[in-house]
Amino acid sequence: MRGQFRDTILDLAKTDPTITLLFGDVSVYLFREFQELYPERFYNVGICENTIISMAAGLASQGLTPFAHTIAPFITERSLEQIKLDLCYNKFPANIVTCGASFDYAWDGATHHCLTDLAILRLLPGMEVLQPGSDKELDVLLRQTYNSGNPTYYRLSDHPHDIDTDIEFGKGTVIKDSGSDTTVVTAGPILGNVHKACEDLSVNLLYFPTIKPFDYELLAKYKDTNIVVVHDAFGLYEAVNEMDDIRTRYHGLKDSFCACYGKLADVRESLGLDVESIRAAIINQTTG
Amino acid sequence: MHTQIRKDILNISFESGHGHIPTCFSIVELLQTVYETMNHKPADPQWNDRDIFILSKGHAALAHYVVLARQGYFDLEPVCTFGGCGSQFGCHGDRSKTPGVEVSTGSLGHGIGVAVGMAMAFKIQKSDRRVISLIGDGEANEGSVWEALLVAADQKLDKLTVIYDNNMSHARGLQIHNPAEKLASFGMDVTEIDGHDPAQIRAALEKKSDMPKAIVANTVKGQGIAEMMENHYPWHRRSPSEEELKRFLEELDARTV
Repeated sequence: MRGQFRDTILDLAKTDPTITLLFGDVSVYLFREFQELYPERFYNVGICENTIISMAAGLASQGLTPFAHTIAPFITERSLEQIKLDLCYNKFPANIVTCGASFDYAWDGATHHCLTDLAILRLLPGMEVLQPGSDKELDVLLRQTYNSGNPTYYRLSDHPHDIDTDIEFGKGTVIKDSGSDTTVVTAGPILGNVHKACEDLSVNLLYFPTIKPFDYELLAKYKDTNIVVVHDAFGLYEAVNEMDDIRTRYHGLKDSFCACYGKLADVRESLGLDVESIRAAIINQTTG
Repeated sequence: MHTQIRKDILNISFESGHGHIPTCFSIVELLQTVYETMNHKPADPQWNDRDIFILSKGHAALAHYVVLARQGYFDLEPVCTFGGCGSQFGCHGDRSKTPGVEVSTGSLGHGIGVAVGMAMAFKIQKSDRRVISLIGDGEANEGSVWEALLVAADQKLDKLTVIYDNNMSHARGLQIHNPAEKLASFGMDVTEIDGHDPAQIRAALEKKSDMPKAIVANTVKGQGIAEMMENHYPWHRRSPSEEELKRFLEELDARTV
C-alpha cells in the first residue's frame, strides 16, 4: 500500500500545492520522485515522532496540508498526546499515514506490533480513523478525506487483501448478505482471511474500512442478528459495541503481548486468525 | 508598565483565586517586549501577515492575558473571570477562546514543536513572518523540547526565536546545566541576557541571524516581591489573601519609586 500512497500523493500534488510530507526516516527512498519534484515540501525529519506531529500541527495552522508518515506504533502510541492536543484540541488538521499495521513486522516482535492505534485514536474528538484494506481502498479514501479539515489517520499495511470492494469514506460495505441470523463484521486486510473463512458459510459479512466515523446506519440493519466481530486489532469491536441493544461476540486479540516471531501468516495462525481458525470460530459462534 | 502588569496579575489572581504568580512574574518584561517588537494588529488578531507568539509554558497564561489586554486584544476587566466557569480565560491558554492566543498549551513540551512547524511553513511560503516561542526551564525537562530544537537547527529555521525562561524552576527537578551552551551546541544562535532588562531583551529579539535564535533569559521567579522571590515554591500555585495583596501591591509601588 505504500506504493499506492506514493502514487496517489504524486497525483494529488499536481493540483494541490499545499501538500507537505514529514517522514520519520521511513519510506524515504520510495518518495524520491516527490522529493525531486517538490524539494521544499518533502522533509525527512528524522526519528522524532513527537516533533513530527507537532510540526504537522504548525504547518496545518498556516494553511499547508501535512502528511506525517512513519511506523505505526511509534507515531501513534508514543505521540498520542501530541495527536490529542496539537492536532485535535487545537483543530490543526494533519494527516497521519502509518506503515507496520498489526503484525506486518511479525519477525520484529512486540516492540513493532501495533494493535491499539485504531482503538486509542478513535477516542480523540474530531479524529477520523481509517483502515483501508487494499491499494484501491487507500486511493479512494485518501482522495476523499485528506483535506477534510479534521485530523485523519490512515493505517497502511504491507499485506492488503485482494477483494475488490466499492467503498466510500464513512461507510461500511455489505460483502455478503445471506439473510442469515449471523453477521460477521470485519475491517482492514484481515478481510482476505475472513472472506475465505465465510465463503461456504451461510452468514452475512460486513466490512468497515472507516473505523471513525462509524457507519451505524448499516450496522443497524443487522442489529437483530448475532454479530461476530473478527479483527486483528483493537478498535472495531469497541466501535460496534457502542450501538445500543446489540449482541456481539469477538474473535481476535487477547489481553496479552504476542511474542511469536516469523511471518505474518505464522503470527496470525498462532493467534487463531488464519482462515481455518476463523472459520471454526464463526461456526462455533453460530452454533454455540 | 511592568509594575502595572504585575499589579494586574496580583489583583486578578486575588479576584479569581487562580494563578501561577511567580512564573508569571519572571516573564513580564519578556512578554511586554515581545509584543512591542512583533509585527501584529491587536484589532485584527488573525491578520495574515502577523508574527506569532506561542507561550509554550502555558501555565503562565495570566501574564500573557494581561499583556494581550494592555496591547488592545481585549478589555482587562473580564480577565478577572480567569479560570471560572464560562470564562474565556482558562488557567492555560486556549486558542479557541482567547484572541491573541495562537496555540492551546498547558501540557509542557508541545508549543515549541508547533512553533517549529510554523517556522517551517514560513520558510516554505517564503514569508518574512516570524514565530517566537517562550519555554520554561522546567519545561525543558521534556524530551520533546530538545527534539524540536534539533529539528529547528537542522532545518535552519531562521524565522524561529526560542526564549528560554531560565527562572530556576528546573532546580527542584531534573537539572539543566549550562542551557546556553547546550542550545549553542545544537546549532542555534544563542544570546544570554538579563530577562528583566527590556533593552537587552529588545536587542536579542532584533538580532539578525541565518539560524534559529535562542535567547536564554535569566529571570527570577516572583520578581518584584521579596517573599515570592525568596520562597517561590509555596507560591507556585496559590493566590494572595487580602492582606498579602495589599502588602505586595505596596511593595511593588515602593520598588518602582
